[in-house]
Amino acid sequence: MSEALRLTVPAAPGSLVPPRDSDRHGSFRQPLVVGNKSLSDVTRDICSPMDTRPTALWWGGFLFSFAVMLLGAAAVAYQVATGVGVWGLNTTVGWAFDITNFVFWIGIGHAGTLISAILFLFRQRWRTSVNRAAEAMTIFAVMCAGIFPVIHTGRPWLAFWMFPYPNTRGSLWVNFRSPLIWDFFAISTYFTISAMFWYLGLLPDLATIRDRAGARWRQRLAGFLALGWNGSLRTWQRYETVYLLLAGLATPLVVSVHTIVSWDFATAVIPGWHATIFPPYFVAGAIFSGMSMVLTLMLVARKTMHLEDYITMRHVDVMTKLIILTGSIVALAYATEFFTALYSGNPYERFVFSNRALGPMAWSYWTMVGCNVVSPQLLWFRRVRSNLAAVFVVTIFINVGMWFERFVIIVTSLHRDFLPANWASYTPSSVELATAAGSLGLFFTCFLLFVRFVPVVAMGEVKGVLAYGRAPSGQGQPSASPIMREGGGSGPRSPATSPTGGEGAEVRS
Amino acid sequence: MPERADTKYWTSLAERDASRSSVEDEFPQPLDPTATSVSRRGFLQAAGFSAVAATLASCARAPVEKAIPYLIKPEEVTPGRALWYASTCGGCSAACGVLVKNRDGRPIKLEGNPDHPLSRGGMCAAGQASVLGLYDSRRLKQPLLAGTPTTWADADREVAGRLAAVARDGAVRFLTATLPSPTERSMIGRFLARFPDARHVVYDAVSSSAILDAHLRTHGVRVLPRYRVERAEVIASFDADFLGTWISPVEYAAGWRSGRDLESRPPRCSYHAQLESRLSLSGAKADRRVRAAPHEVGPALERLTVALARVAGVAFRSGDGKVGAEVAAIVDDLALRLWQARGRSLVVCGSQDTDVQVLANLANHLLGSYGATLDIERPSLQRQGSDGDLATLLTELAAGRVAALLVAGCNPVFDLPGGAALAHALGKVPLVVSLAPRLDETARCAGIVCPVGHQLEEWGDAEPVAGVFSLRQPAIEPLGDTRPLVESLALWSGEPRGALELVREHWRSDVFPHQGGEREFEAFWDAAVQRGAVEITPAPSRAGAFRPGSARPLPPSPRPTGLTAVLHAAIAMPTAEHAYNAWLHELPDPVTKVTWDNVAGLSPATAHRLGVAEGDVVRVEADGVALELPAYVQPGQHDDVVAIALGYGAEASRRFADIGPQWLEAGPSVGENGLVGTNAAPLLALADGTLRYERSGVRLSRTGRRRALACTQSHHTLTVPDRLAPGGTDRRPIVEETTVRALAAGPADRLETPEEVKHDLWPEDHPTPGHRWAMVVDLAACTGCSACVVACQVENNIPVVGRDEVRRRRAMHWLRIDRYFSGDEGEVDVAFEPMMCQHCGHAPCETVCPVLATVHSQEGLNQQVYNRCIGTRYCANNCPYKARRFNWFNYAHSDRLADLVLNPDVTVRTRGVMEKCTFCVQRIEEAKIEAKRTGTQVADGVIRPACQQSCPVGAITFGDLNDPTSAVSRAMANPRRFRVLDELNVRPSAGYLAVSRNREEGGYERV
Repeated sequence: MSEALRLTVPAAPGSLVPPRDSDRHGSFRQPLVVGNKSLSDVTRDICSPMDTRPTALWWGGFLFSFAVMLLGAAAVAYQVATGVGVWGLNTTVGWAFDITNFVFWIGIGHAGTLISAILFLFRQRWRTSVNRAAEAMTIFAVMCAGIFPVIHTGRPWLAFWMFPYPNTRGSLWVNFRSPLIWDFFAISTYFTISAMFWYLGLLPDLATIRDRAGARWRQRLAGFLALGWNGSLRTWQRYETVYLLLAGLATPLVVSVHTIVSWDFATAVIPGWHATIFPPYFVAGAIFSGMSMVLTLMLVARKTMHLEDYITMRHVDVMTKLIILTGSIVALAYATEFFTALYSGNPYERFVFSNRALGPMAWSYWTMVGCNVVSPQLLWFRRVRSNLAAVFVVTIFINVGMWFERFVIIVTSLHRDFLPANWASYTPSSVELATAAGSLGLFFTCFLLFVRFVPVVAMGEVKGVLAYGRAPSGQGQPSASPIMREGGGSGPRSPATSPTGGEGAEVRS
Repeated sequence: MPERADTKYWTSLAERDASRSSVEDEFPQPLDPTATSVSRRGFLQAAGFSAVAATLASCARAPVEKAIPYLIKPEEVTPGRALWYASTCGGCSAACGVLVKNRDGRPIKLEGNPDHPLSRGGMCAAGQASVLGLYDSRRLKQPLLAGTPTTWADADREVAGRLAAVARDGAVRFLTATLPSPTERSMIGRFLARFPDARHVVYDAVSSSAILDAHLRTHGVRVLPRYRVERAEVIASFDADFLGTWISPVEYAAGWRSGRDLESRPPRCSYHAQLESRLSLSGAKADRRVRAAPHEVGPALERLTVALARVAGVAFRSGDGKVGAEVAAIVDDLALRLWQARGRSLVVCGSQDTDVQVLANLANHLLGSYGATLDIERPSLQRQGSDGDLATLLTELAAGRVAALLVAGCNPVFDLPGGAALAHALGKVPLVVSLAPRLDETARCAGIVCPVGHQLEEWGDAEPVAGVFSLRQPAIEPLGDTRPLVESLALWSGEPRGALELVREHWRSDVFPHQGGEREFEAFWDAAVQRGAVEITPAPSRAGAFRPGSARPLPPSPRPTGLTAVLHAAIAMPTAEHAYNAWLHELPDPVTKVTWDNVAGLSPATAHRLGVAEGDVVRVEADGVALELPAYVQPGQHDDVVAIALGYGAEASRRFADIGPQWLEAGPSVGENGLVGTNAAPLLALADGTLRYERSGVRLSRTGRRRALACTQSHHTLTVPDRLAPGGTDRRPIVEETTVRALAAGPADRLETPEEVKHDLWPEDHPTPGHRWAMVVDLAACTGCSACVVACQVENNIPVVGRDEVRRRRAMHWLRIDRYFSGDEGEVDVAFEPMMCQHCGHAPCETVCPVLATVHSQEGLNQQVYNRCIGTRYCANNCPYKARRFNWFNYAHSDRLADLVLNPDVTVRTRGVMEKCTFCVQRIEEAKIEAKRTGTQVADGVIRPACQQSCPVGAITFGDLNDPTSAVSRAMANPRRFRVLDELNVRPSAGYLAVSRNREEGGYERV
C-alpha cells in the first residue's frame, strides 16, 4: 500500500464511533501506540512473524522448550507406569510439587482474564496491546495446571470419576462436599470461558489472516476458523455484544476460580491451611503472579518481535503499578496470617507459622518473602519501572516467589502438623523436578507456537486506539460501544465497501 | 483393473521366445507381478479380517484361573470358614500357646491361646510374624549332602555310616538351643545313649546361664526359677528387660499387667523400679528408672543385698563396690519398699555374672520371694543353656577332639564370638550334621543338612515350665521334603517312627501318669490336642534350701575405661533365627523406631562429646574386633554405653537386597555388606563360664560415612523445639499422664463436662442406630511390645515396603506405636501411644474425598472403598492423626508361596489407593453373620480385632459403644480416658486411658 493511497483515503465518514480525546492521546496523555502507525502498518507489523521464516532465536527457544516438555512427558509416563511413589512424597506430606505447580499455573492464568475481562469492562484501553498474549497465556497456564490434578492421583486412568456423570455404578455420584469437586467445576468452567473468550477475540484477526493469506490452504484454514467473518456492520455489532457478554461472564471467574482453589486448603483442618483469609489472599496472589508472568513474556516478545511501538513503556508502567498493588495485598496477607496465628491462641496454628519462618524449611519461606514482598518494592521507583531489564528481573523474582508461596503453604503446613510423631520432611525426586520442568516446557512450547501462528497483538482492537485516521477534534457520536472497532470495522474503508471486510484488501491494493 | 501396457525389450528373438516359453512352461498360470498386487477388495478384506481378528483377540479376558471346588469335600472344611487349631508357638523358647487360624487348608495367622496358663492369650511380635516362615520359599526343601540336594535315603545312609564310624571311640556332641520340647530332649538323650562319649550341649543366643549357675550355687540345683511377676507388688529389675526380651516376656508382661489394677478403688498398683544401662521397654514402663553403667549393676545389687541383710538381721559383708549417688538413692529406697512388701516383692537381674546373680538370689531369699514370687519347685525350662558346657565344647572343637557334631535349633557360627574360628573348627570335625530349616551360617559348614520343617508342619510339644505341657499340632502338610527332628533321631537310633507317635509315646509315659483328670489316655490326649495345654503336677524338685554361705561379696573390679558395649536382643529381632522375616525387619524398634538395621545407640551427651550425629557410620572397636554401623542418639541411655542389638547381619537377610519397589531412585534394603544390619556377636565374650553381653574398653570413632536410617519417627517429644516456640508453646496435650496417687484421689467416673460437649454443623449426619464400634487403648498398660503392629500386618495383608521406602516415611503399618520422651535427655519418661485410624464421627477425610471413596458406616466405622479410590491423597493430608497409608507403588506380591499367607477376607490393595485401619471390619462382619445365623445378639467381647487379640497386657478394648454395659463403654467412662486432639471436634471413636505411673510427684494432667 502506498503512502499516496493511504493519504487519499478519507477518514471513514461512517465510522461508528469517533475517538474520544482520551483515545487519541491515551488516557495517560501518552499515545497507546507510538510510531505514528497506519492501519496497514499495524497489520504488517503484527502479521510479520507469520509471513517470515522463524528466526534462529525462535528455533532455539522452541527446540529447548520442546525438549524440556518431552522430558516432562517422559517423567509423567514413567510416573503413571510406576506409581506416584516416584515422587518425593510421603505419608505426612501427601502433596508437594504436584499441587504447588497446579496452584501456580492456575494463578498465572488469572492475569489474562483480568486484562481481557475486567480491564475491558473498566475501559482500560491500554489493554488492547497485551490482552491477546495474556489470554493465550491464561489458556496455556490452565492447560499446564490441568495436568497436575490428573497425574497427582494414584490411579490417573480413573480420574474421570471426579466428573459427575450418570453411570451404572448405582448411580455413584461425586462428593459435593469435597473442594476438589468444586475445583473441578471451577477450572473446567474457567478453561471453557477463557478459551471461548480468546477465540472470539481472534475472529476479526483470523479474517485478516484469511484475507492476506498467500497459500490456499492457509486461506481456507483461516477462513474456516474465522467462521465466515465478513466485517459487516451486523457482524461487528453481534460480535461486540457477545464479547461484552463473555467479558461479563469471565469477570466473576477471576475471583471465583482462585477462591475455590484456596478452599482446597481453607476447608481442611490442617493448621496453616485452615484460614479464612485464603480466598482474597489467593486471588490477589494470582493476579500478582499473572501480571508478572505477562510482563515477563511481553518484555521478551516486545524485544524479539519488535513490538516496541505497541507494547510501550506506558504499558509496562501500568502493569508494574498493578504489580505493586497486588503485591502489597499479598504482603499484607502474609502479615495478617502471622497476626491471626498469634492472636488465635491456637498452639498448633502458632507453631505452624513459627515453623515456617524459623523451622527446617525456613529457606523456602524467606525465598518467598524476598521475592514477593521485597523485590516488588523496587517498582516504586520510576527509574526502575522505566528500566526494562530491571523490571524483567523483578518479574522473574515474583514468578519464583509465587511458586514458593504455594510450596510454603502446602509443604510447611503438612510436614509438621498435629502429632509430632508424624513430623517428616520432603525432598523432591528427580522425576518430580522433571515433571515441573516439563510443565514449563509445555507452557513455553505453546507460547512460542502461539507467537508464530497467531497475531500476538489483537490487531482489530489496536487499530481502534490508533491516533491515525481520527478527526482532530471530537466530532460525530460518542462511543456507543467499548469495543475497539477495527479489523474490517472502522478502518479507512467502511465495512460495506470492503469486499472481504478485512484489512487484506487494503494490503493487496 | 485395466491392463497395464508393459513394454518389454529384448535383445534377440531367441531371448524373447525363450523367456516367454520357459515361464509359461514352468508355471501353469502367468507369473504376472501385477496379479499379485492387492486389489482394493482384497485390501478391504484383509483389513477387515485384521480388524476383526485383533478385536477378537483383544476381547479375550485375562488368563482365567479356575477355582475348582472340592469334588469330594473334606469333612470339616467349608470354604470361607476358618478352622482353629491349638498349638504352641515356635518363635522362641518361651513356648507360648497359640491358636492357628486355618483357611482353606492354609495356616494364615497365629493368635494367642487364652487357655494357655503362661501366655494367657498374648503373643509377641516375633511369634506373630513366625507364620511367614512357613511360606518362606528359601526354606530348605530337601536334605543336602556336601551342599547339593539329595534324598533322605542317601542322607540317612551317609549319617548312619559316618556315625557308625565314630560310634566306638569318637566324641559325639549334640548342640542345640534351649529345646522346650520334652520329646525332643528325651529323643536326643536316647540317641546319644548309644555313644560312649556323647553329650547334649545347650546354649542360648541370648543366654541366662548365670541365673541357672547361681541357683546351682545357692540351691544346689541348676534351674531357672519361674518368675511370678503377677504376685509381686514391688519389682526391682536390675538390667533385666522382662517386659521386652528377657526369657518369657509375654508371660511376664501379662503378670506385670495383672499387678496393676488402676480401675479398682483405691487403685491397686505394683511398684516397678528399673536400673539399667540402655533404655529397654521395662525401663520405659518403670515407675522409677535410673541409669546405671553396666559395671554398676553388680555393686548396686550388692548394696541392696547389704541393706536387706541389715534389716533382716543376717550377716553379710559388703564389698567395696562403689555406685553413684543417684543409684545409691534409688537402691536404698528400693530396699525399704522391697522389705516392706517382703513375700510380695521380687528382684530380677539380667546380669550374666554368676556372682551378681547369686546376690540376686540372696536378696530374693532375704525377701522371702522363693515360693512366693519366685518358683524353683516348678522351675522354668525356657532357658536351659549352659555357657560352661558351651565353652568346653568350643575348646574340644578347637582342639579337634569332636568326631561328630549335630546342631539343631541354633546357629553357633553366627551367634557366638569367634564365629569365623568356629566355622574353621567345624571344617575339621569329621561329621557335622545340621538340622536347620534354612541354610544358615552353621548349616553352610555342615557336611550334611537334614532340614526340619516349620512349627506349623510338624507334631511336637513343649514344657516351658515344669508341669505346664502344651502340644504343637501340624496345620498343613509339609511344603517341602522336610522331616521333624525327632523323626530323624528315631531313624538314626534305629527305631524309625513318626513324630506323632513319638510325642504320644512320651506323653503316655511321662505326662499322662502325672495328671489326675482323665482315666483314658485317648481322652486325655484329645482334650490336650483340643485345648492346647495341660497342667500336671510335676515330679518334686530336687532344689534344696538356700545355702547361706553361697553368696560372697563381689570382687573389686576396676572402673572400666572408655565405653562399654551393651549387646542386647531386639524386640523386632529376638534372635537371628528370624532374620528371614521381612515383617520383623520392617517392624520399628519400639524405643528407637529404627527399622531394617541395628544401630550403635549413644546417649545424647556421649554423641555430642564424640561429635557423632544420627546416621553417622561409626567404628566400634574392642580388642581387635571392629564393627561398623550407623549411630543413633538414644535419650535415656547411660553415657558410658554404646548399645547394639544382636541378631542382625545374618546370612538369611541377604535375600532382602531388592525387596520393595524398584524404581529410579530406589535404595537397597541391605547395607554395604549385602545384609540387613551388622552382626554384633563378635563383641560378645565367653568369660568365667558365661556369655557376656557387656564389653568394656570399647573405642568408638567416626568413619566419615553416613547411612540415613530408616526411622519411622524423627521428632521424639511432645514439646515443639524451643526455637520455634514463641511465647512458650507448651507440651502438646496428645498424651495425658497421671499418677496412681492422683487417681486414688480423683473421681471414679469420667463424665463429659458441659464445655466438652461441642456443637456440630451437621448434628444428625451420621446416626448409628445399631452398633457403634469403638476402641479404648490403655496407655498405662501398653508396653510398646509391638505384637499388635505385626498382628495387624498379618491380619490385614499389609505389604512390606523395604528399607528405602521406610526411610522415605512410607511405612504401611495401619497401626503404629508413637513413642514420646519427656524429661531431660538423660532421665527420660517414655509414653507409648498406639495410633491407628480413630474412626472419627466427623471425619475430616470423608468430606474431602471427591469420589466418596471414604464414607461413614451406620456402625460408626470410617470405611475406605478401595476400588472407588483414585488416590488424590487429600484424605490423608486432612487426617489430623496421619493414620492413612497410601499405596505409592504396586507392592510385591510376586512370591507365590509367600502369597499363601494372605488373609482371603481382606482385599490386597493395588497401587494408587489409600488404606488404613478398618477396626478389622472382616471380624466384625464375621461375628455379625454368626450372630444373625444363630439368631442372637453380638455378645460383648466376641469381636476382637487382631491388635487386641494379640496384646499380652490386654491394653486394647473393643466393642459396641451403644451398649452401655460393654467393656468399651465402661472404659470410655474411665476417669483416665481422653481422646487425642479432642479439641478438633472430629469425634474420634478411639479413646485412650492416660499413662499412669506409681509415683508420688506429678498430678493429673488434663491440659
